[in-house]
Amino acid sequence: MTGITWGFKSLARQPLRTALSLAGIAVAAAMLLDMVMLSGGIDKSFSDLLLRRGFQMRLTPKGTLPFDTEATMAGASGIVAALRRDPAVAAAGAVLGTSLYGRTGDSLVTLFGYGIEPEAQSLYQLTAGLDLTPADTGGVLLSEPAARLLGASVGDTVTLVGRLDPQVVTAAVGRSLVVRGMVRWIYDYRGQPSVGTVLPVMQRLARQATDRASLILVKAGDDAAVPALADRVRRQFPQVEVNSVADLVAHFRERLVYFRQLSYILGSMSLVVTVLLIATLLTITVNERLGEIATLRAIGVSRATVVGQVFAEGTALTVVGAALGILLGLVTARRLDAILTSFPGLPAAFSFFVPRADTLTFAALVLLGTGALAGLYPAWLASRAPIAATLRAEAT
Amino acid sequence: MTRCRLIAFALTAAIPGRTDAQLPAVAVERRLAQELSLQVGDTVRLGTAPDSMRTLATVAAVYEPRPDPAEITKDERHVRLHLPDLAAMLGAPDRVDRFGIALVPGTSVDSAVAALQQNAFGYQVYASSAIAAQSSQTFLVVSRFHRAIAIITIVASAVFLLCIMLLKVEERRMDAAVMRFVGVRRRTIFGALLLEAALVAVVGSIAGTGLALIAGAATNAYYRRFFDTALTFSRITPDIVLFSVALSLALGLAAGAAAAWRLVHTRPMVLWGRG
Repeated sequence: MTGITWGFKSLARQPLRTALSLAGIAVAAAMLLDMVMLSGGIDKSFSDLLLRRGFQMRLTPKGTLPFDTEATMAGASGIVAALRRDPAVAAAGAVLGTSLYGRTGDSLVTLFGYGIEPEAQSLYQLTAGLDLTPADTGGVLLSEPAARLLGASVGDTVTLVGRLDPQVVTAAVGRSLVVRGMVRWIYDYRGQPSVGTVLPVMQRLARQATDRASLILVKAGDDAAVPALADRVRRQFPQVEVNSVADLVAHFRERLVYFRQLSYILGSMSLVVTVLLIATLLTITVNERLGEIATLRAIGVSRATVVGQVFAEGTALTVVGAALGILLGLVTARRLDAILTSFPGLPAAFSFFVPRADTLTFAALVLLGTGALAGLYPAWLASRAPIAATLRAEAT
Repeated sequence: MTRCRLIAFALTAAIPGRTDAQLPAVAVERRLAQELSLQVGDTVRLGTAPDSMRTLATVAAVYEPRPDPAEITKDERHVRLHLPDLAAMLGAPDRVDRFGIALVPGTSVDSAVAALQQNAFGYQVYASSAIAAQSSQTFLVVSRFHRAIAIITIVASAVFLLCIMLLKVEERRMDAAVMRFVGVRRRTIFGALLLEAALVAVVGSIAGTGLALIAGAATNAYYRRFFDTALTFSRITPDIVLFSVALSLALGLAAGAAAAWRLVHTRPMVLWGRG
């Protein structure tokens, strides 16, 4: 009989104790997995979201992040034209974001408006109808929530209203537009009623001075060229902020630093609980079975076999507990993700807990290493058991 | 005075040597003053965009903003201006974002909101409580997340406690066997084991409370320094301590009782290892 078989038999001899230990390890492993997913998931999810349409750079007014303030950049068309002339740039397009209103009967509903350049947009995916064309100054795209608020569908005409002036009891700018298509805006929060028109129409609705934009999106032909292109654009347009996806992820990580730190702390605590559980269980098991171990040693079983048995027990507990923990962790991660993604203003497509092969492998390896480490002391105890003294004590 | 959120580019560094009593006065947030090495009396240039830095102003005060949990993760800096100065700079005279209204004591907030709501087109009236409820959504989400994590932690701790208690009592197999051999009653052994479990639970609870207080203090010290704020991040209230101690005592006693019951109902020879 090998040390591993002895290890398994030993665990089976105390089913209640083994079951409780497995439950403890499973919960700790689930927590560890969730925290590992949380620590890496924020970056991954945000990066995926930004690269959804392949645009690797965002230009914003100096000192701001995309749509973080109402600030806009002057001379947007000039910047876009210069960018499009750069051989490293595959596409570039300006976006203006602004609050506006939609007229429904006698009342108004609040909407968010995107002014876009359809030939270079990365903000939406068409779900029904037709996309805007660059010259389409009479069309509008609606999100589902906006369509519900306005009671409109593809082909209907809606009236959008710019700045309201309470003193003259009227809207300064109004425009009737035909709904060309329904879209899903990638960066909208859940239920955000957004509409999109070509940039000049939105600029007029927002009463922005001509040629201003909130954001310019840039797609480089080659991912490797992005850092050099970003440096070049920074030098060329010092009045704007140039953010690569990596820069934006770094900013976002800073804002959600609390969750990353929390994940490190709780992940470490889970590991400590796992080590304590396995070490305590194995130490008590070894102490209980000192007589048995001494007998085995007395009939010629090697010290290595005894140590292997203790290690096998620890490893078996860890492997089975971790397997259960991974299942439990995936379930709890979905629940925790549902809680955190209800943050107001967070893009609906964002996720905090992202299951990835490398995350799962890392968590499993760390747990396995921890389990093996926890078996060190009890294994040392087992190997150092004094044979004669233990047998004499057992006999009395 | 009104509060204006100005982004970094909209405020240039101090202009040495300029002093002009006629310039608009601004109050600068302490962190911003430190970052730009501003002092009271310095002159700054303000604007709404890098290409329109046309307004000169004098730093009249450096202030410490009231700690606000909604602001700590935002990398924003603030300056405060008199309302007419800000309106002039924005090119929007006699326009405001909002009004604050204090009601005469005894006036119903709801009826005042309803009355004002019907008065004119173009503005929305909110009770302060409605704004507070809306702006605290973020913290409600964080609170729900903490509660979910706490439930997982409690489950993990409960299983851990049950396991440890079971092992602790199981360790006394030989003692229990000897006591049974010499005629000690099961009830006495059960009581002794339960008392031991209770003692372990009490000592563990006290140690846990001490550890929690130390961890809470460390958390506050770390995050106050990290976010440069006076906010309290970890608050261990008597209710929390009572709940935790009661839970650990109940779990410890339950686990100890279950293990002790199992032990005293096992034959002494089996306990002795000869059964």
